[in-house]
Amino acid sequence: MSGATVSAPTPTEPSPTAPTQRNGFGRALLAQEYLGVLIATLGLVLVIGAFYPRFLQFDQLMAILNQATYVGILACGMAFLLAMRELDLSVGSVYALTALACAMLADSGMNPWLAALVSIVAGGLLGLFNALLIQYFGLPSIVATLATLAMFRGLTLALSDGTQVLGPPVDDPFSQVISGDVLGVPVTGIVLVVVAVVLTVVLRATPFGYRVRSIGSNPDAALFSGIPVNRVRMQAFVLSGALGGLAGVLTIGYLGAADPNTGSGYELLAIAAAVIGGTSLAGGKATIVGAALGAVLLGVVGSGLAYFSVPINWNQFATGAVILGAVSLDSAVRRRRRRARAGSGVHL
Amino acid sequence: MLEAQGIRKAYGGVVALAGVDLTVRAGSVHALLGENGAGKSTLVKVLVGAVTPDAGVLRLGGKELTVANSADAVDQGIAVVSQELSLFPDLDVLSNLFPMREYRRGPLVDRRRMAAKARPVLDELGLDIGLDDPVEDLPLDQRQLLEIARALVADPAVLILDEPTSALHSRETERLHDVLRRLRKRDVAVVYVSHHLEDVLAVCDEVTIMRDGRVAVPSVPASTLTVDRIVQHMLGDKVAAIVEERTQQGEQVVDHGQPALRLENVTVPGALEDVDLAVPCGRVVGLAGIAGAGHRAVLDVASGVTRPTRGRVVLPDGSPLKAGLRGAISQGVAIVSGDRKRFGVMLDKPIWDNIGQVSSVAMRRDGMFIRASRIRERAGEHVRRLGIKTPSVDQEVGMLSGGNQQKVVFAKWLEAKPTVLLLDDPTRGIDVGAKAEIYNLFRELADGGAVQLVSSSDPRELAAVCDEVVVFHEGKVCARLSGRHLDAHTLLEVMNTGIPPSDGEPDRETAGRHAG
Repeated sequence: MSGATVSAPTPTEPSPTAPTQRNGFGRALLAQEYLGVLIATLGLVLVIGAFYPRFLQFDQLMAILNQATYVGILACGMAFLLAMRELDLSVGSVYALTALACAMLADSGMNPWLAALVSIVAGGLLGLFNALLIQYFGLPSIVATLATLAMFRGLTLALSDGTQVLGPPVDDPFSQVISGDVLGVPVTGIVLVVVAVVLTVVLRATPFGYRVRSIGSNPDAALFSGIPVNRVRMQAFVLSGALGGLAGVLTIGYLGAADPNTGSGYELLAIAAAVIGGTSLAGGKATIVGAALGAVLLGVVGSGLAYFSVPINWNQFATGAVILGAVSLDSAVRRRRRRARAGSGVHL
Repeated sequence: MLEAQGIRKAYGGVVALAGVDLTVRAGSVHALLGENGAGKSTLVKVLVGAVTPDAGVLRLGGKELTVANSADAVDQGIAVVSQELSLFPDLDVLSNLFPMREYRRGPLVDRRRMAAKARPVLDELGLDIGLDDPVEDLPLDQRQLLEIARALVADPAVLILDEPTSALHSRETERLHDVLRRLRKRDVAVVYVSHHLEDVLAVCDEVTIMRDGRVAVPSVPASTLTVDRIVQHMLGDKVAAIVEERTQQGEQVVDHGQPALRLENVTVPGALEDVDLAVPCGRVVGLAGIAGAGHRAVLDVASGVTRPTRGRVVLPDGSPLKAGLRGAISQGVAIVSGDRKRFGVMLDKPIWDNIGQVSSVAMRRDGMFIRASRIRERAGEHVRRLGIKTPSVDQEVGMLSGGNQQKVVFAKWLEAKPTVLLLDDPTRGIDVGAKAEIYNLFRELADGGAVQLVSSSDPRELAAVCDEVVVFHEGKVCARLSGRHLDAHTLLEVMNTGIPPSDGEPDRETAGRHAG
């Protein structure tokens, strides 16, 4: 390099082509990460429907949607955490504890709506507790939330004395609204849709959503770009906890009672739903709609098995097999897509 | 003797190698040169079995060679030291030297025999580390030497070095070159890929230059070439965009009223001792020193990573530096690291997403909602301005070459409109053309009134781009070189001796004697 005195730089390459905009709804839909789970869900519904047309009835489908709501809401929160390479194993316990809180508060005479709000906030605080453990003790999130999974569940059992606690009466407007429907669509299902849409906007179009994905993509680069990593992690865990609270509150409104064992194993279902939906465990990417659809797919499998009169003891096995199938299919599709992209990409 | 004949490889419709021949004699060091994108990396990947060519033959010692994968290549006597560090940081030095090839005694790993094999190789490279040291505790330069040691313990017939000196200081590079000269006597065929053309000329016997997927100059003796000629061959018809040499200027007196980035009596235990430093706006100031001398600590302090125990940092606008990275960045400090894959870019994200990361995402300057279309538009402008070679701003950054990736890092900081740029080895592993473009960018930014602090492992780079270089020795400023004192030779000398040159030649000799 030394000794080379040279002329001013001249651009030697034609200026890069103008940024391309992806246009067209069809292409946008095709490019979505959750396409696989959408097709799988619809396909499975149609297959079951081919054998048992009754399965395709609107009421039946709406019942599945209702059942999928709770795991679906938890999965939406989980997708945020997975996108930043974190994990919350305590969501099932948060769900149970907040449901209990909501029932007990309403039972003690508090306005059920207020009790619901308090429970959701409590869920957020439980999430904050998780985040603080992770941050101040330097624990990996999987370890911290494994501990709080047991703690929160234990708290639920202790506070409820191991028995069901009744919530607001069924004729209370609170229960009426939540267990009701709009044009046949259950309110719980509508809540799931609203949550998925709002969180999709949060993930795709707010600085918080970008930060979550940046941290998951490259934590060091995120830190060195000035992203407040700890704060973002705290926000994500509070979100996850609050969503657990929301799911708990919906359960009370729908069922009218809190069972201390409700929601055990939901943390794994939520992770499965998010992964089936197309959220990568490696971080950096997530799809909220996919996570919600993943929960619906799990719901379809559950009810489908009942139709095919699979013995109840084989239920879990079959669910596991479906998860495996869905995830491997998705992975195969993704690999093909990546290869296609790598082929067209140029190492410049 | 390693021979490659008619190697072709296309990715999709893009031809990376269009029928390449390469012959490397046993007992010679053969340089493989070319701009980024010329096809060097693909050729290296073919040689080590990481990429299967569409056509062509490989021969080793006359026998046809089919390499199924990288492990197979090692078994057949081809070892590679790649540009990407690929050590296992959690394991100790010895385990890293024998990955998947541990010596065994029955079912157990025979560490004693491995140590007996490894020690002489480490000594030869001048790598003074314990075999039990965990690799994660080693500095970058030692890790790179360790990569080289790992290739050498396999006793290869062919050794491929892909950009092996990017993290090495000159003394270590010299040591590596000695080792290469010794390998020559042992009849090893060495392929040496590097952007340091002077290194190449110093150590290589033959040179092959590639351009646009073809061989532009096949196997000519290195003695017939000069740096300028090589650059011409590498660039072909393209005009060499090489930075204008700094005009020799006299010592500039720093006016203390002028806005500047100031370090006032900064002390960091074990790193900096009572350092006073003023970097005026519009100047490019280099930081030099041997490892641990304190020049890098200055960057840590100025970026808010390290809080000094005494003293303070004041920004050009007169406000004291806030604590922490985020604080510093919010005040207009930019940090460009040479380790771009770790600290710079998100490889799996498109260019526009990376460019928006500081301004729109971290600093929320776009408000509550981020409009991707708006970032894309601005990213397009940066791509044009910096000459980032890409089909579109939607391209994943991982698909770009190193130089273009580093330009994306610059773009993301320029998007945040910084007033202070901290550049830590900003052109590591980048080809000449991209380097020159980045140097020109420094000038442009300086003309725009930015403060730039550059640290570099290459003293020639500091001498070429800086208005002034501050040399550190044992945590203190030992010299400030500018004007006619600023050249790579003096710089190296002062770095190593800690004795500033006074005026005239005789003093330089004195300094040399002290060092000896």
